[in-house]
Amino acid sequence: MPDGLLSDYTVRTVVSGSAMIGAVSGSLGCFAYLRRQSLVGDVVSHASLPGIVIAFWIAQATVHQSSSLSMWVLMPGAICAGLAALLLTRLITQRTHIKPDAGLGVMLAIFFGSGMMLLRWLQRANPPLTGSSGLDDYLFGMAAAMTTSDLAMIGTLGTLAVLTMVLSWNRLKVFAFDAEYSACLGMPVARIEILLLTLLVIGIVIGLQVVGVVLMISLLVTPAAAARQWTQHLGPMVCLAALTGAICSAAGAVISALTSLPTGPVIVVLLTSVFLLSLVLAPGRGLLFRRRSHV
Amino acid sequence: MYDTWTLLIATVTSVVCAICGCLLLVNRRAMVSEGLSHAVLPGLVIAFIFVRDITSPWLIVSAAVSGMVMVWLTQALQKTGLVEPDAGLGIVFAGMFSVGILLVSLELENVHFHADCIIDGDMTMAPLNMLEIGGRSFGPKALVVMSLMLVLTLSFVAICWKELKLMLFDPLLADQFRLRPGLIQFVTLTLISLTTVSAFNVAGSILIVALMVAPPAAALLLTNRLGLLLVVSSIIAVFSSFCGTWLAQQIDVAPNGPMAAFAGFVFLAVLLFAPRRGLLAGMIESRRQQGQIRDQLVLECITGAGEVSEPDLATMLRWTASDLNRVLQRLAQGGSIRQESDSTWTVSERSRNESGH
Repeated sequence: MPDGLLSDYTVRTVVSGSAMIGAVSGSLGCFAYLRRQSLVGDVVSHASLPGIVIAFWIAQATVHQSSSLSMWVLMPGAICAGLAALLLTRLITQRTHIKPDAGLGVMLAIFFGSGMMLLRWLQRANPPLTGSSGLDDYLFGMAAAMTTSDLAMIGTLGTLAVLTMVLSWNRLKVFAFDAEYSACLGMPVARIEILLLTLLVIGIVIGLQVVGVVLMISLLVTPAAAARQWTQHLGPMVCLAALTGAICSAAGAVISALTSLPTGPVIVVLLTSVFLLSLVLAPGRGLLFRRRSHV
Repeated sequence: MYDTWTLLIATVTSVVCAICGCLLLVNRRAMVSEGLSHAVLPGLVIAFIFVRDITSPWLIVSAAVSGMVMVWLTQALQKTGLVEPDAGLGIVFAGMFSVGILLVSLELENVHFHADCIIDGDMTMAPLNMLEIGGRSFGPKALVVMSLMLVLTLSFVAICWKELKLMLFDPLLADQFRLRPGLIQFVTLTLISLTTVSAFNVAGSILIVALMVAPPAAALLLTNRLGLLLVVSSIIAVFSSFCGTWLAQQIDVAPNGPMAAFAGFVFLAVLLFAPRRGLLAGMIESRRQQGQIRDQLVLECITGAGEVSEPDLATMLRWTASDLNRVLQRLAQGGSIRQESDSTWTVSERSRNESGH
């Protein structure tokens, strides 16, 4: 019953949370896409795991136990770990002749490997830590576990990230299209790059609870790739990507609530279909158009 | 006994992965391993839906085909020129992985298909599954399969040595020599796809990525030659699997996480301490160059001025007195300048003669 469904409190929380996440990661993803750093999405989502586990562990040891699974506790840890992985990758690729793809792969392996080790070790602790099995939600995504306080966290971080993006729009724009040119203009390129990476990390980690580490890259990049087919300008592209992300995520959450299918994969399949449609149908650029013009 | 089998399986798996990783890395496609390790899922599930037998060899075939489909789709997307290549990889593998998970939850609701095993794998359970033909035991199945993959991979590398070498370092030239890089590329990716699949239920996706990327990346910091690259990364892989399984026994977890972490730590150690390309070596080298440039600068200034006092020199160069003094002492020790009076310096006879000629 869709009418009754949206009045359901949990479903409403999950749907609005998913929509927010879709919008934030969709709009920030455009910059990752244009900078050809799409795989950053995959690496950060995996690399945040040790941060999440360590934050959970510290919260267990110090603060009240029941709050240790709250996003307010876990997100700072995730952001630190994700950012550390990206900065290390940057250091490696700048200082050695290791290529960016290998640097990203190694960081993914180190962070996620040690994160999994910590997680399994923690889950085997004796006496068992309450809620440590809830950490698995971050691996595969468990949108239904979203609480109102999580929603507030997502809203706060998401708004901050988008606001920062809007305020530093011009610099980010020049940097995204041509980093060397922005250096020639005398912009602080290193600072802009780190700002952009931080924004991306925020956009990625807030989505983890909904789609999980593996599928997060799709939430970040697929809306951007779809939006890119329809426009040549950054502003419309970001808006379109945010809209696509929000609609697909909300629709995915609703479908998953109706059918008990896992939320993350449903969202990703929706996003991928939108992307494929855009690839074929986009005016002037699409594959359909291309076939016609050959005739 | 089971521990010995586990160690053997870990070692063989890590060597196969490391060799495949070398082929990927030199091609600048390290992240393909991450994509492959997830994109094989729909193939596994579809085959399972048909044969309903988790041990069937069809699962491996179908999963490998699924991996190839991912590679093909990524390349097709790239050829349209409408999508950035790295984004294409991400979109395709995430899409295929979610189709796989949806198939699991639609078709296999009653079957125990734990999502965890996709990431974890289970190496400690692998020795329990022995291969028996006609009543004789041939050791654990996983070990037999991985050894077969090792033989396959090594013979491929041996047969196509020259072609691989040229292709890996200069694909354009290989194209001009009509070496059919398309065919070799295809065989390489098929091998890697097969390796991923056969290592899948032993190692899990994360360990596969770690073993394919970290040892070759570390080896690339140590050598430039293809042969040495393969040997060094195999050694690193074996080392990390020994240390990983040992640590896993100590803290009683599956060996996969520790093995991945160790492969990463070996890379970090090499990154810091590699003789010529490491971070420390780079820092030492740049300090040395900085020193040389400073020496030259000071020498030029003194030569130009003929005779100059230390404070004047410091204002001229805008250096601090202690920085300048260190350089002056070094030059004086080398004998190219000498101290006239208390703080006045001039060029020594020797270097004046040298510059005169």
